[in-house]
Amino acid sequence: MEKRYPRILFRKRLKDLRKEVNDIGKLTLKAHKDSVNIFADYDENMVEDVLATSKKIDEMVFYLERKCISIIAAEQPVAKDLRFIEACIKVGSHLKRIGHLAANIAQASDYIKDETIPKKPQEDLKHMADFVQMMLSKGIHAFLDQNMEMARELKQDDDKVDDLFDQALEHITRSMFKDKESISYLVHLLFVARYMERVGDRAVSIADKTIFMITCEKP
Amino acid sequence: MNRIEVENLNVHFDDAQILKDVNIKIPKNTVTSLIGPSGCGKSTFIRTINRMNDLISGFKKEGHIYLDGQEIYDPSVDVVELRKKVGMVFQKPNPFPKSVFDNVAYGLKVHGITDKNIVEERVRESLKSAALWEEVKEKLEKSALGLSGGQQQRLCIARTIAIEPEVILMDEPCSALDPISTTKIEDLIHKLKKEYTIVIVTHNMQQATRVSKFTSFFLHGEIVESARTERLFLEPKDKRTEDYITGRFG
Repeated sequence: MEKRYPRILFRKRLKDLRKEVNDIGKLTLKAHKDSVNIFADYDENMVEDVLATSKKIDEMVFYLERKCISIIAAEQPVAKDLRFIEACIKVGSHLKRIGHLAANIAQASDYIKDETIPKKPQEDLKHMADFVQMMLSKGIHAFLDQNMEMARELKQDDDKVDDLFDQALEHITRSMFKDKESISYLVHLLFVARYMERVGDRAVSIADKTIFMITCEKP
Repeated sequence: MNRIEVENLNVHFDDAQILKDVNIKIPKNTVTSLIGPSGCGKSTFIRTINRMNDLISGFKKEGHIYLDGQEIYDPSVDVVELRKKVGMVFQKPNPFPKSVFDNVAYGLKVHGITDKNIVEERVRESLKSAALWEEVKEKLEKSALGLSGGQQQRLCIARTIAIEPEVILMDEPCSALDPISTTKIEDLIHKLKKEYTIVIVTHNMQQATRVSKFTSFFLHGEIVESARTERLFLEPKDKRTEDYITGRFG
């Protein structure tokens, strides 16, 4: 039996990275959840909160990437360790973009806050928001727990969210035709639907990165 | 096309078995790295390829090593001729206590090349190939021992390639060198692979990833895994390889 050298410091650094991604993931989930809540129930302070959270995520991702580079330089990782670190950089970047999209949703709500949103589009977006929040949570946990099954599920979830987006698009367009005056604010509803769909895409990208990290195969 | 093919190679020194059922094919004009913990048989393996173990008492070999299809342990093989085809560069630079010129010319003379013009031409070309010419062209008659460690190692490579071998075996050629000299040797390996087949033993994983196309991982005298270098370091198939390259044991 070989003598074991666990590379204690290196292991600790990898563990710290995972914790940082976990922390950023939690903040991103919160930012997204808050942004869709603002959309349903406008609160100016909450908009400011989401924007601040998005900035905080940016900063945390910056330090995460810096730490990853420093570990690569100091430890010269290979195999699954290298794949994990590379995945941390990519996942960090996706989370950062999701933070921006949450900020976009929060800001778009400002244009809709005083308007009465038609029932069907409202339901569509509520449904989409819940579904995307679930996808985001799945993506982050699939990565943190290296859960292949969960990562693979996200592919099907993506089809579902695309369908929801198409449905929302149809309902919003119909409402626009019915009441041309409403176009000025319904267009922001379209943006919100698009932002949510993009959050879903990013969650799928996190899952794809997870699959590559585990199997080294093209997802 | 394979330059070297090793089949079921077992090597014993007295009762100790050093290599167990080693099978490997080394393609022509490529660099192959051998990695593994100390004492795993890497050096014994490359020394077996140019029959340097023959004179060690208790050395016993089973299996076959073919160089261009010819079994190198066949009684008809002239060992001096074999070593002309299979050159060796060692861990510690070991120039002869002679001038820079004589170090490179020595092998040529041993192999019967005495024409002054040819010797001069070959020495110059070898030093150029070893990326040393510019640094030593003004001091060819000075002692080789006055060169830096990195220069001495490149001189040893020049000495090896002067006799135009087919294979160059390198046993940790950079382990005694500073990072700049190491880079020069690695650049040189890149250049040399166009004409030679190179087998390099290294403890430096990053060096293996930088210089070689194929890598074999040795453990306890066996080859655990052989693969394209990129694959082996990104996606090792065997748990023992993964544990070794990620530093979980040594």
